[in-house]
Amino acid sequence: MKLPLYTMGIDIGSNFIKLVLMDYNPLSEGEGSGVRPGATLLDKQTEKIRKRNPTLVADEMIQVMLRKFNLGYEDIAYLASTGEGDLVKRKRGHFYGMTTHAKGAHYFFPDARTVVDMGALYVRAIKISPDARVLDYKMTGQCASGSGQFVENISRYLGLSIEEVGDISLQADHPEVSSGICAVLAETDVINMVSRGITTPNIIKGIHLSIANRIIKLMSSLKAESPIILTGGMALNKGMLQALEEQLTETGKKFIVKTHPDAGYAGAIGAALWGGFRHLKLASKEKIMV
Amino acid sequence: MNPLNNILTYCNEVAFDMNFTKAKQWKAAATDRALIGFLPIYFPREITHAVNGLAVGLLGVGDRKQIIKGDAYYQSYICHLPRGIIELALDNSLDAFDGFIFPSICDCVRNLSGMFKLAEKGKFQRYFDYPQNFDALIGGVFYGQELNKIIEDTYQVNGVKLTTENLNHSIALYNTNRKLIREIYNIRQEYPWRLSAVDTYTILRAGLVIPVEEHNPMLEEVVEIISEERGEPMDNIRVVITGSFCEQPPLGLIKSIEMAGCYIVDDDFMLGSRWIQGDIDAHTEDPLGALTHAYLTDSTFSSAMYDVGNPKGKRLVSLVRDRNADGVIFSAASFCDPALLDRPELQKTCDEAGIPHINFQYHENTGQFKVIKEQAGTFSDSIKLWA
Repeated sequence: MKLPLYTMGIDIGSNFIKLVLMDYNPLSEGEGSGVRPGATLLDKQTEKIRKRNPTLVADEMIQVMLRKFNLGYEDIAYLASTGEGDLVKRKRGHFYGMTTHAKGAHYFFPDARTVVDMGALYVRAIKISPDARVLDYKMTGQCASGSGQFVENISRYLGLSIEEVGDISLQADHPEVSSGICAVLAETDVINMVSRGITTPNIIKGIHLSIANRIIKLMSSLKAESPIILTGGMALNKGMLQALEEQLTETGKKFIVKTHPDAGYAGAIGAALWGGFRHLKLASKEKIMV
Repeated sequence: MNPLNNILTYCNEVAFDMNFTKAKQWKAAATDRALIGFLPIYFPREITHAVNGLAVGLLGVGDRKQIIKGDAYYQSYICHLPRGIIELALDNSLDAFDGFIFPSICDCVRNLSGMFKLAEKGKFQRYFDYPQNFDALIGGVFYGQELNKIIEDTYQVNGVKLTTENLNHSIALYNTNRKLIREIYNIRQEYPWRLSAVDTYTILRAGLVIPVEEHNPMLEEVVEIISEERGEPMDNIRVVITGSFCEQPPLGLIKSIEMAGCYIVDDDFMLGSRWIQGDIDAHTEDPLGALTHAYLTDSTFSSAMYDVGNPKGKRLVSLVRDRNADGVIFSAASFCDPALLDRPELQKTCDEAGIPHINFQYHENTGQFKVIKEQAGTFSDSIKLWA
């Protein structure tokens, strides 16, 4: 067996591209499950797409990472995409976002039972089995008011960068909750708040509370089980996490919510891990050396 | 531009041209030519070709035309295809057509034939009844009579008499057409990455609006191109799509399924072009009899056809096995009674055969594919990871 077994996962989002390189060691694989307590995250990289061609950005990111490790495409056992995977050239396979976030969350916390993927365009609550299979899911509807893109838009209107939003939200003392149903109404709410002299921290915190409410509704309708793992771009927003905890307390929900410093890479990590699992599965089917 | 891109650009242009410019140009080139529109699924185009006619497939308008008048003709619980076609007729886009054939596949199409009659569209409007009895002396005789009615209809339009020689020649041309399409599907079965399902569909659909003499060389070129390695193989699952034989799925839907990690190794999108599964005798004294024999003995299967002696479920399972497919996607147009009524029985047969499947519905003008992509994506993952 050729070791290390390199796998790559690339998650093409609407705003960001996330890429990871992993060492997938089949020897420590859990029986039949693809559980990988021994898989090692070797490197990670995020790139904002801005107005560039995502295919070219993704290609460049892969090349840079391969060069950094002195590797070629042929050294990667499985390059897996997730998200808008059709934009990735030379991939070997594609996995759907829910499958990869489930796997990524399970990699961070093997006891994960529910995953809440807080992405740019929607929030998705996913119930998973002990071996990271998707059992059920619920997601926000067409409206973008419960999404990272919405938070980013509002922060831009308020003259903030997305990185500042979390800390500023923590400074709120009297948050004003905006519409939790419609992004257009919520944006109108924000304009009203600004004209009424509501402070920026209170506006931002209000938005976080509104999103937190939607997430709790999703989790309730899914009959979510703890621990709940937050993934996706918004999972590291401190203000968002605090708002979620506050809303959970207020609504009397006793969920254990966890996040991980690499939560934003959950999709890419999940893709790389499933890629490794699939590589071994194909190899055993074809009886080839891996 | 490479040769395949040239073909695809041309096919895209003609296949989805709701004004049927190419067909009209063909007709305008001579005075004794007849332009005949036909609806899905199958019409033996040979009989039109042999009398100096061009049979043009009317497959709906997709998302290329806004339906305004058509909605006044059909209730909300009727599929989308006939609305688009009556809209085309009322907008005079079909005025150059001399006649219309309405194969007996469902009530909506039958009603459409009546609407064309009342609106006096074309010089004839023929409801083309398929036999439900496959005995040559019963269903065969009936089918021959139905074909003769259309031949007579066309004669009244252009005065061209059918000859044995001409019909044999037309059968030979369509044999070549079907053979080349079979070759494309066979190559795609083994190397599905060489030609996407969307491209395959576009190439086949173009064949319904241009003369077969023009389509055949195009198919030959495609076969030649995809016989060589091109594209990159991917770790995708292999699926058969069934249920889309009449109202056609939007291209976005086919693309979404492919993007979700599925190679479509067989489908019934352009089923009429593949209806007869082998060659028809093209060297016979009775070519009409040969067409009839082929229909009775060599037809493929479809929900719109009666088949008590040769169950569709069994044939679907056999197709899945032959194509080495991992699963089936039941994809039917909303309100398509034949496809949707057949679905539970077909699903049961797939279950019994251990073939995984999913299902969804679409309209020809569906623009949102998020849910379909999700379904196809999770289906693909479940097969790849846990099957």
